[in-house]
Amino acid sequence: MQQADIMAAGGRRAGTQTIQLAVLLGILLAIMAAATILTPKFLSYVNMVNVLMQVAMIMLTGSAAVLLMIAGNFDLSVGMVLALTGVMHAFLSKNGVPTALSMAITIAIGAGFGLINGAMVSGLRITPVIATLGTMYVAQGLAFIVAWMDGGANVTTGLPRDFQTFGRTMVGPIPLFLIIVLALILFFGFLFARTNLRKYAFAIGGNPTAARLSGIRVGAVITLLYVLVGTLTGFAGSTLASRMGSGSPKVGTGFEFDVIVAIVLGGTSIYGGEGSFLGMIIGALIVGFVGNTLNLLNVQFFYQTVLKGLILVGAVLLSRTIRERRG
Amino acid sequence: MNRKAVDLQKLVLVGILALVVVVFAVLNPRFIRGTNLVYILIQNSFVIIAGCAVTLLMIAGQIDLSIGSTVCLAGMAFAYVSRAGAPIGLALLIGLGVGLAVGLINAVMVVKLHITPFIATLGTMYMGRGLSYLVSDGLVIREGLPDVFSSLGTDGIGPVPITLVVLAVVVAVFFALERKSVLGKYSIAIGGNRTAAVLSGINADGIVMVLYILAGLMAGIAGVMMASRLAVGDPNIGIGFEFDVIVAVVLGGTSLAGGEGSLIGMIIGSLIIGSLGTGLKLMNVFTFFQSIMKGIVLVLAVLLDQNLKARLRAMGTRGRRGLTAGVSPEGHGRKTGAA
Amino acid sequence: MSETLISIRGITKHFPGVNALRDVSFDIARNTVHCIVGENGAGKSTLIKILTGAERRSGGSLLFNGREFSPRSTREAMNSGMSVLFQELNVVNQLTVEQNLMLGKEKVRFGMFRRDTAAVSRVYDVLTSLDPSIALHSRVADLSVAQKQVVEIAKAIASQSEVIFMDEPTAALSEDEVKRLFDIIKELKKKNVTVVYITHRLREIFDIGDAVTVLRDGQMIETRGVAELSRACGEDEVESCAELIRMMLGKGVAERYVQGSAQPGTPVLALRGVCTAKLHDVSFDLARGEILGFYGLIGSGKTEIARAIFGLDAKDGVVEIDGAPVSLESPRDAIAHGIALVPEERRSEGLFSKLSIRENIPLMNIRSISRYGIWSARKERQLARSFMGKVRIVARDESHIVEKLSGGNQQKVVLSKCINAESRVLLMDEPTRGIDVGAKEEIHKLIRELARTGTAVIVFSSELPEVLNLCDRIALLYDGRIKEIVANGASVDSERIMHVVTGAGGA
Repeated sequence: MQQADIMAAGGRRAGTQTIQLAVLLGILLAIMAAATILTPKFLSYVNMVNVLMQVAMIMLTGSAAVLLMIAGNFDLSVGMVLALTGVMHAFLSKNGVPTALSMAITIAIGAGFGLINGAMVSGLRITPVIATLGTMYVAQGLAFIVAWMDGGANVTTGLPRDFQTFGRTMVGPIPLFLIIVLALILFFGFLFARTNLRKYAFAIGGNPTAARLSGIRVGAVITLLYVLVGTLTGFAGSTLASRMGSGSPKVGTGFEFDVIVAIVLGGTSIYGGEGSFLGMIIGALIVGFVGNTLNLLNVQFFYQTVLKGLILVGAVLLSRTIRERRG
Repeated sequence: MNRKAVDLQKLVLVGILALVVVVFAVLNPRFIRGTNLVYILIQNSFVIIAGCAVTLLMIAGQIDLSIGSTVCLAGMAFAYVSRAGAPIGLALLIGLGVGLAVGLINAVMVVKLHITPFIATLGTMYMGRGLSYLVSDGLVIREGLPDVFSSLGTDGIGPVPITLVVLAVVVAVFFALERKSVLGKYSIAIGGNRTAAVLSGINADGIVMVLYILAGLMAGIAGVMMASRLAVGDPNIGIGFEFDVIVAVVLGGTSLAGGEGSLIGMIIGSLIIGSLGTGLKLMNVFTFFQSIMKGIVLVLAVLLDQNLKARLRAMGTRGRRGLTAGVSPEGHGRKTGAA
Repeated sequence: MSETLISIRGITKHFPGVNALRDVSFDIARNTVHCIVGENGAGKSTLIKILTGAERRSGGSLLFNGREFSPRSTREAMNSGMSVLFQELNVVNQLTVEQNLMLGKEKVRFGMFRRDTAAVSRVYDVLTSLDPSIALHSRVADLSVAQKQVVEIAKAIASQSEVIFMDEPTAALSEDEVKRLFDIIKELKKKNVTVVYITHRLREIFDIGDAVTVLRDGQMIETRGVAELSRACGEDEVESCAELIRMMLGKGVAERYVQGSAQPGTPVLALRGVCTAKLHDVSFDLARGEILGFYGLIGSGKTEIARAIFGLDAKDGVVEIDGAPVSLESPRDAIAHGIALVPEERRSEGLFSKLSIRENIPLMNIRSISRYGIWSARKERQLARSFMGKVRIVARDESHIVEKLSGGNQQKVVLSKCINAESRVLLMDEPTRGIDVGAKEEIHKLIRELARTGTAVIVFSSELPEVLNLCDRIALLYDGRIKEIVANGASVDSERIMHVVTGAGGA
């Protein structure tokens, strides 16, 4: 039977996404090539480690946040949670808590914020914008309060020696924490691709009603995703503080947007239902490398933010064009 | 929701405002002093001015994340041009022009280039921030500003501060727009059912563009007034301003998905948050506790609002077809931006 | 004025790789109700889109009022005197009736509205002549679906349309509301408005149609006067009019009830005295392998019973599975106990439109393709392919995005999802709504097959013929109560059934 009304393109989602990723990768390589030409320092060991450190934070939170966005939600509080956990880690270490325990506590704090977000969004049915805005304000306040309690704007002095150990330990030429971060990202990549969590996230993001009617525990999945985001952010926060040698409530500004930019750049739709982990990784790298190159070239901050804005807009346009061309 | 429900919601908001005022008045009688109340109003006038346009914008299903950076940029332009010696009138116009320009850029990106509002305005936000830093290499413009620069924000017409006059005018104009004009009605239509609006011959694209331009202009007004009041051109102000505006708008009953909303609700919402902040400051509560308070209040208020809506819906509902009557998909982040 | 309003000559439409329409020609006469019927994929929607400006034709010509007509947009077609009532209502819920009626046509000066009392009362007169119960200042959100439709119709009439296209207008209406709509349509004819009526429901052709055009595979098969067609149908029930079905499918089809395969023993599902906000004292047994039908008018409680069983509503009373009482507080509970639901609105409740066939099917029972929380792409593919074969889903392959499938195929995907959950009880809410005759028949066959293998099926339907075709027993609902359960068979009395469900008969 000829189905005359069915459009010929059945819409192979996989095909479109591969092309998108390829384009993204191409852009990344082009940027790296341009950077190397413009400034040989780009490929230097010191510089690479620096960039990767910054990018690592985004990718860490992004690893869970990408699934969260696919499931149709997002988290605006990650920036402040990043700051808060860093400050807490410094504060606790300064006051005698052994580093390992301190890290554990701060990670738990991150998870706690995730739990609150999840509970508000799925339990109390509050829109993610409002819910995570609320936690953002709270985390922000707490971060500054803790710093103030310490007596200054940042927690910098009087930190025990091994506070910095975690951040500075090397395994051969590579910082330890980068290896751990890499391991975590790989783990989450696996989680993203091969587990039922992935199936549920895509389903919930695509049609939450149908998901519920198919027996998926929508509330539990969403809460889990928020908790994962919070936990990873907590880890990122304490690692960052460790590396920087201080806990500052100001580090988080704009972090949540950096994460969202990386995720959206990578092909995840704002509305949920589709997205890519690898895309998020490449997106984070692009944002990181562009910023880094401009820093090396002593380009003013202005251009960097402008560029960030342009990249974001350009990426979405590109993404859409590809989709339409194939559709 | 029927008429009754909407009014009840506003009543609740007023109630919350009254509660906050009473609590703080009891805790610290200075709160109730006339000068203090005026102070609250002035502090919040910027959010309210920008909020007027953003309310309409969000009713039409859009969102603007660049409001804060536009406020900052307009103020910077105003200060820079003033310092360079230009007559105050020209400097003012340039500041406003900057706001208009940003609004236009947003309009073009969303309507002509079909970029989701969330992303488009996020992009302008970044660019606006960057430009603000460029204007003065990241420094605060403090010296070299003519005296008349700060008159706008601090002087008054008779006993009434100019700021409040501007606020009153803007609010009055937008009330008229909301109720009587094409812009107001069509925003609801576009946010409620864009297809129906277009099929009825409404120029949805045109209206949305106007809304973005208006938002930019209002941000420009707020920006120059803020710069004048603070007597500086500071590239760091306005961070988080867009959230303050969105919070006020949502608190006031505007749905993130569009189709319904209220100007007066936004004003009350903004005043609630403003009173809270000032009240805490008066009690010498640490500034950062305010942040926490803001967060908690926001969530509580929205919770209350939602509970109210749900209860009213259950009372007045005709049996809806299908299995989902009463099953609301939990927390499905309906990200604004139905362009 | 000539008799012919719209003259369609040799219209063709190509999409890449597909010939959607081939050489379609027929006339639509003035002041008639002209029905267009055909299966999904026959080209109905494409033809309508071309007629109303949403698509450009690839070839052929179109005459409207004797003049060449090539609208470049729906807006343009509307300006020329056409109105279209889509399936999705185009009213703004947040505005009032008056504001909707005047939307886009208000008197405006310097961007501000001026109340045009004359125009408003003109339109309002039209509205009240159709349905006097709608008040000007009511919020449209508070109106029923039928009333919203009336508002749209009034708006169309007020804009002096010569022809109104209606796409499946009765899909969401109760029997009473359908009758009202038909009365309105008859009024329209008197007002010199032509109606082009697209439908799946064959009975409607005979209820209000003057002429009918049958499309099949993108071609115009026949255009006939309804009176003449009626004669050709002869003794057949309209829904099973052999003549008409032959035109639509190119082959004959006859569905008759076949004795079912209900098994004796403990009922797999039993409800005892179940009450919810809208249900009163609902009790019944369901045997393994039985097909039980629930029939009643809109509002009689069909969907409420499905909701109660599936754990969506709070309820009193007892539910037993295999003789043991169970607690069903959520869809998850229900599914865990072996109950699956094919929801009424497949697009918004049953499918994940942006996902592919193979990604949709396992979602009610993820364990069918996963172990220890990790899923297997191979198993997913195999599962999809096996279902596509068993259930006959027509698509390019298992990666076909579900959104692009026809209604019948989409429903089959939902059905596959439920079958994959290996349930013992399958609830089907309006299983063949909005689905063409051919797919309908296939789904009915599948239901019978499921019953034969031991699954108990409950069919909630507002189509009596469907219930009579399929079900072993039929529970008659009225006002939230089961009035009677009748056994199906040769001696079933349709008239009496109608009596009971309209409240006229029974205790």
